[in-house]
Amino acid sequence: MDLKRILRNLDWWLIGAVLLLMGSGLLLIDSATHSFAVSTGKAWHVERQGIFMVIALLLAAFSLRFDYRILKNYATRLYIANIVLLVAVMVFGISQLGAQRWIQIGSFSFQPSEFAKVFLIICLAAFMEKRIEWLETFRDYLPVFAYILLPFVLVMKQPDLGTSLTFIAILLGMIFVSGFKFNWFAKLGVLFVAMLPAFWMILKDYQKNRIRVFLNPELDPFGSGYHVIQSKIAIGSGGLLGKGWLAGTQSQLNFLPENHTDFIFAVVGEEFGFVGSMFIILLYMIIIWRGITIALNAEDDFGTLLAVGVTSMFMFHIMVNIGMTVGIMPVTGVPLPFLSYGVSSLLTNVMLVAILLNIKLRDRKLQF
Amino acid sequence: MLNKHHMERLHIMFAVCLVLFAVLIGRMVYLQLWRGDYYTQQADGNRLRQSKIIAPRGLILDSQGRELVNNLPGYAVALQKQSSYDPAMLQKLSELLNIPLTDINKQIKESKNYYEPIRLKGNLSPELVTKIEENRRDMPDVLLEVQPIRNYLYKEFAVHALGYVGEVSSYEIEQGLFKDVTQGSIVGKAGLEQSYDKYLRGEDGAFMEEVDVAGNVVKHFDTVQPVPGKNLKLTINYDLQMTLEKFIDQHLAYLRSSGLAPNARAAAVVAIDPRNGAVRAMVSRPGYDPNLFVHGISVNAWNKINDDPNYPMNNKVITGEYPPGSTFKIVTGSAAFELDKVRLDEMIYDGGFHPLVPTMGNAEGEVLGWLSFIKALAMSDNVYFYELGYRVGIDNIAKYAGIYGFGQPTGIDLDGESTGLVASKKVKWDIWHEDWRLGDTFNAAIGQGFNLATPMQLAVMLSCVANGGIRYQPYLVDSILNADGSMYMTPERAAGKHIDISQRTLDYMQQGMSATTQEGGTASYFQSLPRKVAGKTGTAENSHGRDHGLFVAYGPVEAPELVVVAIVEQGGFGTSAAGPIVYKVFEEHFREEGLLPPENAQDNKKN
Repeated sequence: MDLKRILRNLDWWLIGAVLLLMGSGLLLIDSATHSFAVSTGKAWHVERQGIFMVIALLLAAFSLRFDYRILKNYATRLYIANIVLLVAVMVFGISQLGAQRWIQIGSFSFQPSEFAKVFLIICLAAFMEKRIEWLETFRDYLPVFAYILLPFVLVMKQPDLGTSLTFIAILLGMIFVSGFKFNWFAKLGVLFVAMLPAFWMILKDYQKNRIRVFLNPELDPFGSGYHVIQSKIAIGSGGLLGKGWLAGTQSQLNFLPENHTDFIFAVVGEEFGFVGSMFIILLYMIIIWRGITIALNAEDDFGTLLAVGVTSMFMFHIMVNIGMTVGIMPVTGVPLPFLSYGVSSLLTNVMLVAILLNIKLRDRKLQF
Repeated sequence: MLNKHHMERLHIMFAVCLVLFAVLIGRMVYLQLWRGDYYTQQADGNRLRQSKIIAPRGLILDSQGRELVNNLPGYAVALQKQSSYDPAMLQKLSELLNIPLTDINKQIKESKNYYEPIRLKGNLSPELVTKIEENRRDMPDVLLEVQPIRNYLYKEFAVHALGYVGEVSSYEIEQGLFKDVTQGSIVGKAGLEQSYDKYLRGEDGAFMEEVDVAGNVVKHFDTVQPVPGKNLKLTINYDLQMTLEKFIDQHLAYLRSSGLAPNARAAAVVAIDPRNGAVRAMVSRPGYDPNLFVHGISVNAWNKINDDPNYPMNNKVITGEYPPGSTFKIVTGSAAFELDKVRLDEMIYDGGFHPLVPTMGNAEGEVLGWLSFIKALAMSDNVYFYELGYRVGIDNIAKYAGIYGFGQPTGIDLDGESTGLVASKKVKWDIWHEDWRLGDTFNAAIGQGFNLATPMQLAVMLSCVANGGIRYQPYLVDSILNADGSMYMTPERAAGKHIDISQRTLDYMQQGMSATTQEGGTASYFQSLPRKVAGKTGTAENSHGRDHGLFVAYGPVEAPELVVVAIVEQGGFGTSAAGPIVYKVFEEHFREEGLLPPENAQDNKKN
């Protein structure tokens, strides 16, 4: 495809929203890590995030040269690579904050479970596309469930509740669009409720506590309840217009822990107020809108399923992360796409957007 | 192929997403617009105020369960972490506490934990507490925390075993020397307080309050109850230790005033049970009052301790390294018998000096003539042991010193134990870069020269002789108890180890030591005790002044229950300087067993 045609057919709404979010992300990370940067004399987080943004964007642009459909051929290999990485993190991984999620290579550490989300979306789309004609009865879906069971269990073991729930969100989005009947969802729901006790048993103590504390934050005003209480105060005190960049008292004084990663939205709320929050939420709505439109117009079922998986994942992350900071979701440690500091998650999200763009480039309208 | 029906699914999906976004937007409207004022107030006036409930440290009890260390109620003042502070309030606080404003600001800046209050000063005087209480309304961010104060009931009593506590230093926090401590935490700094800190400390509790701008409590959140520290039950017996300490002070004063040893100010005494290694008494002199440290020691008091040339802070029982002197003849003798280099009935001639190195002889030039081993040990003859040293050689002396535990820590449950030094060719080379000479072997054979041992090592050696060759790891803590007095655990201890020395050899050592305290031995005054006690005198050469007097003993000889080691720095001869202290320990021990009438006739200053 020549450059002109590519430029004409790129989804500029999507690109615009993502670039604006990433730019805002840099501003917010700068604010959230300000006291750290002042005391060390180096804006380490912002620089690192910025460098990886450029790398991610270059990779994304380069990837558009290839037709996304070749991913189908690599599905099995990706699936195996995914399992290998997840096992590697169990064996060689380093622990942080009570969970073993990181692999270190030289001075660079990354979270394989972030990349696992991309791999899973691709593999699952390829797997379902092959069987799409035969997905007639509930039984037909059992292989699909079996397919994601192994990566799911491996992520669960790390333990990374956020990523394992993301897997479920991706799965639900994709089977829903493939025609999974409503009453089957009811069946799954019953099954899920029946399995809740067993599920509760495999949760780590801190995860159980987070859920208990979510149900009643005052149980633990010092621990995870503290995060939510302080985050709510930060957002609420932002009011209509916010306190201004670098001027949030909650964020700047370290009342809010981890405010450059999981709780970055609290910085938005406090420093930029309702107006700023609405701006960010609007950008996310644009991403979801474009994701679903791209799924609708995709050239083939693989494209549709891919786009649905990507969109489901974004929606889940946005809802769970923002919901957590405003106190309507439990604390699960899911990053906010494009805003949270974190190199692995940044690369993952940009690659997912690249996949959406790729599907759009080669969609149905182009053929006519 | 996905059909139109599936396309419909995508529309439903989009609708669901819109609903979810609507929920988020609704929540933002509620938080930021509807409740914005409330949260603004929360962020400004604040909000959550956390106070710590400091866990009381565990008690320390003697072997009979009598309290030696407990806690008194006290207060600490802290600053609730805030986004900004009223400068007038800080100024006032600085005046009240007598802490420079810059220091307070520095502490505020450096405090990292986001909800932990900034502890400014502990162990407040009652007047200060009242003053702060009176000014509480003007200082809403100031917290008074209940902080138990460590109380050492008998002041200097067993201070070197017990140790003391103090506020954790930033260095200790950075080095990670203690688990779960924050600025202002009280931790053990020496002795058992330090080595058993993790058991004694307990877990602090906390409660949180929501406070309005004026400092009034609006809401009280659940309290996390503190978990008190575990209690330590020691092997030390209060009566024995107390009697001993009193006697040592008295005896040192006597040595100084009588002119026998004008500089006798420092001493180390330890009594252990040879049947298991339990320490019954441990005294190091001079001592100090650990309560001084609890209250934050004054500069004057600190200088007084720090400038004392006799190092009151050191536990000389485990850190004092002394030439073992003649007590080391047990090692040389054991080596000679084990290697068949001498027979019990073999007579060796002491002509006042050894023919191979004629410059080396007995103290004060004595000539004792023909001697067998028992008599040579009892009279502490040097020439006889030069000959044994010559026969076995320095390598074997070093080997048997190692078997008895010299040159290595005894493993007692205190931190900072010294290892001592065993004379060997390598040691001399390392220190002086000189070759080994026969004269060095002679010196080593009688415990002088390069040999250095702690009193605790001597006690372990003597226990081996007394109990028939088992080396125990000495210990001070018998058991760790829960706050309610029930058993929590017995500290892990290595099992007694059989040392590689035959019973026959140990018998000979016992006979020689028994003879020491008999008529004609160097410490014959021990005969007046109700049971037979075996001992050995020693005199440790000291290049800085008068020699150190040393005495080691065990008893009763038939079934040893106690091993005692005493050293008096610059005390002169062991028999007069250290012997009476050891005598006193046995006297008290036999009195407890009912073998002597209760304390009546004033003491035994026998020399």
